[in-house]
Amino acid sequence: MDDVTTGATTTDKMVDGTVIAVRDLQILDGAKRLVGPVTFELAAGSTTGLCGPSGAGKSTVLRALVDLLPHGLRRQGEVEVLGRPVRYGKGDAHLRSTVVLVPQTPVVFGGSILDNALFGLRHLVRASRTEMHDRVEQALREAGLWSEVSGRLDTPAQTLSNGQRQRLCLARALALEPAALLLDEPTSALDERSRDTVEESVAALRGNRTVLLVSHDPAQVERLCDRTVRIDLANTCEPSPAAV
Amino acid sequence: MGLTLERPAQAPGPTLPRPSSGSGRGSRARWVWGWAYSGILSVLLTLAVLLGYLVTGIASGTVDWAALFTSSTWNPGTLAFGGLAMIYGSAAVCVLALVLAVPIGWAAAIALSEYLPPRLAKPLRLSIELLAAVPSIVYGLIGIMVIRPFVADLGDVPGGDSLLAAGIVLAVMITPTIVAVSVDALAAVPGRYREAAYSLGLTRREVVRSAVLPQARSGMRAGVLLGLARALGEAIAVFMVIGRADGRLPESLGDIFASLVRPGQTLTTKLAGPEPMLAGTSGPYFAALCGLGVILLALVAVATVWGTRGSTGRTARAPRARRSSAWLRTPKDRVTTVVRLGALLLPGALLVGMLGILLARGGAALNPVFWFSPSEGAAGGGIRDQILGTLLLLATTALIALPLGYGAGIVIGTRASAKTARVLETLTVAIGGTPTILLGLAGYVLFCTTMGWGRSWLAGAVVLVPVVVPVVALTTAGRIRSMPAEITEAAFALGLTSSQYVRSVVIPYTWPATLTGLLLGLARAAGETAPLIFTATVFFGAPALPTGVVNAPVQALPTHIFTLSQDSGAPEAIAQAWGSALVLVLITAGLLSLAVLLRNRFEGARRWTT
Repeated sequence: MDDVTTGATTTDKMVDGTVIAVRDLQILDGAKRLVGPVTFELAAGSTTGLCGPSGAGKSTVLRALVDLLPHGLRRQGEVEVLGRPVRYGKGDAHLRSTVVLVPQTPVVFGGSILDNALFGLRHLVRASRTEMHDRVEQALREAGLWSEVSGRLDTPAQTLSNGQRQRLCLARALALEPAALLLDEPTSALDERSRDTVEESVAALRGNRTVLLVSHDPAQVERLCDRTVRIDLANTCEPSPAAV
Repeated sequence: MGLTLERPAQAPGPTLPRPSSGSGRGSRARWVWGWAYSGILSVLLTLAVLLGYLVTGIASGTVDWAALFTSSTWNPGTLAFGGLAMIYGSAAVCVLALVLAVPIGWAAAIALSEYLPPRLAKPLRLSIELLAAVPSIVYGLIGIMVIRPFVADLGDVPGGDSLLAAGIVLAVMITPTIVAVSVDALAAVPGRYREAAYSLGLTRREVVRSAVLPQARSGMRAGVLLGLARALGEAIAVFMVIGRADGRLPESLGDIFASLVRPGQTLTTKLAGPEPMLAGTSGPYFAALCGLGVILLALVAVATVWGTRGSTGRTARAPRARRSSAWLRTPKDRVTTVVRLGALLLPGALLVGMLGILLARGGAALNPVFWFSPSEGAAGGGIRDQILGTLLLLATTALIALPLGYGAGIVIGTRASAKTARVLETLTVAIGGTPTILLGLAGYVLFCTTMGWGRSWLAGAVVLVPVVVPVVALTTAGRIRSMPAEITEAAFALGLTSSQYVRSVVIPYTWPATLTGLLLGLARAAGETAPLIFTATVFFGAPALPTGVVNAPVQALPTHIFTLSQDSGAPEAIAQAWGSALVLVLITAGLLSLAVLLRNRFEGARRWTT
């Protein structure tokens, strides 16, 4: 398998290209079609909204993309990441460090804030302590959390508020320098004030990172996204030009 | 022996107002609470009797504690009572058992919970639960017939009686317990932790190590401590293969390994031997035996209470800060997968092998004649009387234990303040973890000697009650805690008194869980041998059903298997033993399947029994 540390360089290389291309993606439960067919592309550096009513299968699409579908569900259709077709079903960890999913509810592991920010990185990258620390600091800055935690990286992550936790999860993903970020309703588990801070962080990614943002809130998609992909309960989807 | 492992998240139970003594309601309220409190009283009483037995025993003669802990000479003739060799024996077999069982048990549990698809894992998990409930006498029989010859071949061990054989038997016995409890701990880790870790690009091995194990660690450790408690307290299975040689200690540190293939003695096998009968009920000899009992009880109590404590609510520790190398991630992941799935083969093979051996050698049991004709001692015949005796003991135990356990569970679940509930629960857990050999000895002194019952089926049934009561009580209490608070609120809003609340809300809500607990407890009691040998059962010569209480022993399956396997020369005797073992396994499996069925049907709280 290729070395996984190449995420950053590939992103740079692909700035003008398409990071993820999805063609006729369907998700099936046995013979029953749950989602799709869905077709869309994520352009490098763009923020794309994936919206639709609850139950339409937005989160399921994200999980299908990174091979984390729940047991019993199947996927059909083609997915290309960085121009290469993805072969699913191999438990591909490399894929998931290239396209990183940030789940809806912030998950904080035991240990300090630093431990959490390093959580994925320390498995994927072989680097010196200072180098790792630098990458984590940069990620925390990018997620807009650095100023709040820089003085207490060694305190337990459980002491963070919900909004801070979500941004920590975002930083943890950013630290891997992924080709694309998949954000699954990043604000739905939060109160209004934390929602604003998380939205600010997501807005700051615009133009620098390739993001697919799932949201059931059209206003939020409007605020944060360059374009929108809509999934409906009717099992069809159409890309629609969105206000920039 | 019942021990809680998982406490429901809503720890404090509904707190009730004091029972009102409104007119017309008073007598019934008294009746309900009288019943409930007598349950809790029975738990305290058991503890009191047990401690009373040991303390009066020790007080009846002088115990030389220093010698008990440091000398290895045991000679009642010269009043030399040194217990060091037995302590060493107990330690050696338990360490051996843990060394063999823990890595395999943990790896198998991880494979079951993290690697196998649910469709495969579910039935396997159920089978391992069944394995965990196989009576220890059956493990002992397998030890004497299979493991002992194996050890004899392995090293130059005449007959194969050795610490090693005992260690292997115990390892086989506690592996299912460790797997079952660990799988529960792993399954309790929310899926979102796994998802969060997977979505950061971690391999399965890394996900398990960094995201799952830190959360499940305390529960998995509790599984080991429960296994250890079981191994420490087990008397009969060890008794059958250890050789029971007194005073054996390794001569030097280097001799420790060699000592493992020599016969030895443990605390439990000493107490299960003939000596408690010979020692009478007072004097230095008896006192020394009670001293051994105290040491054993203390060790087991520490393991059980610690094990149950370990799993409650402590937050997960940080994953180790060690940075793992990014090299060879995929090969490492693959190797780990193979190792873990491979570890699962062992319990699987154990299950298949045990069923195979039981069916192959105990095939006689599949013939109805074997079930319905009386025994002819070691010479053959059926086991009608043994089955009847076992059923009589179980039925009597169930009759006594159900109300007591139910009452205790209600008190723990509803009446007590959080603190008292914790104390009562810990006491109940301690009773559940008590080595049954000690229960048997206390029962022997109390009923058979002091009260003059002689060997009596009733004494046996009563001795088995403390095995069942904790399981019933803890299952009930757990179910009450999982009761939605609105139900309680609604009941009191309608003006129910607390006794009416118990009758019309708690009992209808909890009875399936309580029955499940009863069946689980009875499955455990069905295989108990050690406490019955002293108090209630004979091998041959008792009528099928006793006619009185005094001097009215019965025959029972565990005793039958035990005696026949000791006399392992004659092929008829061996066939009889295997047949009886199969019947006993079928009875426990029947009880357990009923319990699982009830549990699945009514989704009672999940409880673990050792």
